[in-house]
Amino acid sequence: MAREINWEDIDNIYPRVAKAIAQALVRDAGEVRLDSRLFGDLEAESIDLLDIVFRLEREFKVQIPRGRIIEDARGDLSEAEFEHEGVLTGAGLKRLREYLSEVPVENFRSRMKLGDVPTLFKVETMCKMVLRAMRAGAA
Amino acid sequence: MQDGPARDACRRGLIMASRRRVAITGVGLVTPLGNTTAATWDALLGGRSGVGPIRNFDAGGYPVRIAAEVKDFEPPISGANRKLLKYAARHTRFALAAAQEALADAGIHPEPATSTRWGCVVGSGMMGVAFAELVQFQHDFAPAGAVASKLVFDPAMPARDPVAYARNQANSGLGLLVQGFGIHGYASSVHTACASGGQALGLAMRLIRRGTADYVLAGGFDSMINPVGLAGFCMLGALSTDNETPYRASRPFDRTRNGFVLGEGAGFLVLEEWQAARRRGARIYAELAGDGNSLSSYRITDSHPSGDGPIQAMRWALADAGVAPSEVGYINAHGTSTAMNDRSECAAIKAVFGPDTERVPVSSTKSLMGHLIAGAGAVEAAVCAMSIRHAMLPVNANLAESDPDCDLNFICERPVSSRVGIAISNSFGFGGSNSCLVFRNPEDVAG
Repeated sequence: MAREINWEDIDNIYPRVAKAIAQALVRDAGEVRLDSRLFGDLEAESIDLLDIVFRLEREFKVQIPRGRIIEDARGDLSEAEFEHEGVLTGAGLKRLREYLSEVPVENFRSRMKLGDVPTLFKVETMCKMVLRAMRAGAA
Repeated sequence: MQDGPARDACRRGLIMASRRRVAITGVGLVTPLGNTTAATWDALLGGRSGVGPIRNFDAGGYPVRIAAEVKDFEPPISGANRKLLKYAARHTRFALAAAQEALADAGIHPEPATSTRWGCVVGSGMMGVAFAELVQFQHDFAPAGAVASKLVFDPAMPARDPVAYARNQANSGLGLLVQGFGIHGYASSVHTACASGGQALGLAMRLIRRGTADYVLAGGFDSMINPVGLAGFCMLGALSTDNETPYRASRPFDRTRNGFVLGEGAGFLVLEEWQAARRRGARIYAELAGDGNSLSSYRITDSHPSGDGPIQAMRWALADAGVAPSEVGYINAHGTSTAMNDRSECAAIKAVFGPDTERVPVSSTKSLMGHLIAGAGAVEAAVCAMSIRHAMLPVNANLAESDPDCDLNFICERPVSSRVGIAISNSFGFGGSNSCLVFRNPEDVAG
């Protein structure tokens, strides 16, 4: 079992992640904070998320398959246990809340659509995604 | 009941009286002569050439190493629209800057209450995928020549830029313009090679006439000064090879002309329904009064030596505006500086203008700014609007030796100060599309 991601890990990569996100969203570096929500605070569009992941893959020389965050959150739940017809089940929502621990609980809604999950993502979510990809690459 | 011509004239009179007129109230230009309308106009009147050695890329091994490039361009885009630049290829950046200047110049822009009455029509799209991105694709996925399809989505391969696809779509410029300026009414992108810009303005005019829109942001933009675009025109033998004398390379209608000079840039106009423009006290450069389109249906790159095709475009445009050839005070010629175009265009002008050919002043501003391809028609429409407003006719530069096949009343050596009542602009494209636009002095419009 990989050790938990801690603040020191995040601090180490945060400046490079923030820079990639600022560049993707064409914002000044000062506008990007660790707790900024990509789609809310930083007004990202769906294509921006693809661009951010592309830039992070290039910057950190890692591979991040699209949809990785949701797959990781699902963990050992079956697809049917996790979602039904594109809507998160109760168990799926619980898993997602645990996995995206940086996202405030009140941002999760019951019967949340899978397609809406990226609206929860914060800059910190991207940091954790990169750290997991780095560990997977090193393993 | 009247018959034949009398009935047609009567009907035309009724149409003219009841038709919604179209005012040009804003102009924006990014050209090889300057990155604003004022800078471009100043260089045109000063006879300063925009042609020089190619700086966009290393053209050292090409037979043509000169072009009319846009220089020192920084898109003056700020605020929320800054992000649009991420999706904007070089020519689209020109478009965003020229459109922004045109709207600022007009002093009007789409607002929530009016945005569905705004349209946007552009001429663009000669080039698609940027060369560097093609090279990268070839390098990564087709190392042996053919695409190795398994490599394209192989996770072990370098990550691909997902934005490149959005940036290189043929209509990405149109998409960014309507998003950037909040246009919600009507949009279309015209591509008929070098006739694109002229046809886009003609379509825009018709949108206002028929009531589909009250305002249209209309123009053209292009850049083919890249390794693929330049090679293509070199292989067609269409370009001047006068690398040692770039400023003289484009010499439309000169006996020694030997091809066109590739240019790049953008031209945008704000078109408004006439009465609306009058009510708000807008400065009106000119009425966009007529549009004629024809198809030569002849050959891919040749123009018919008789002028067939351009003749109809000019006649239909004049008829559309209700104008006789005797009323025309300036022709901004297509005038590419190729042997064939210039001869064919002269034949067409003579056929249309008959005895007025000796009187009507003609110039090709491509002599200074090169050929902006899909952007040319829109930029040259802007030149006509400026000529009417300032009562100045720009020069046909570099016309030193007259060609017996090209014996029109060219504006040589220096610009001419002359009030213009009616100006026309020609744009003809590979593939046989011909566009002619007619512009009327606003002082000559009642109401």
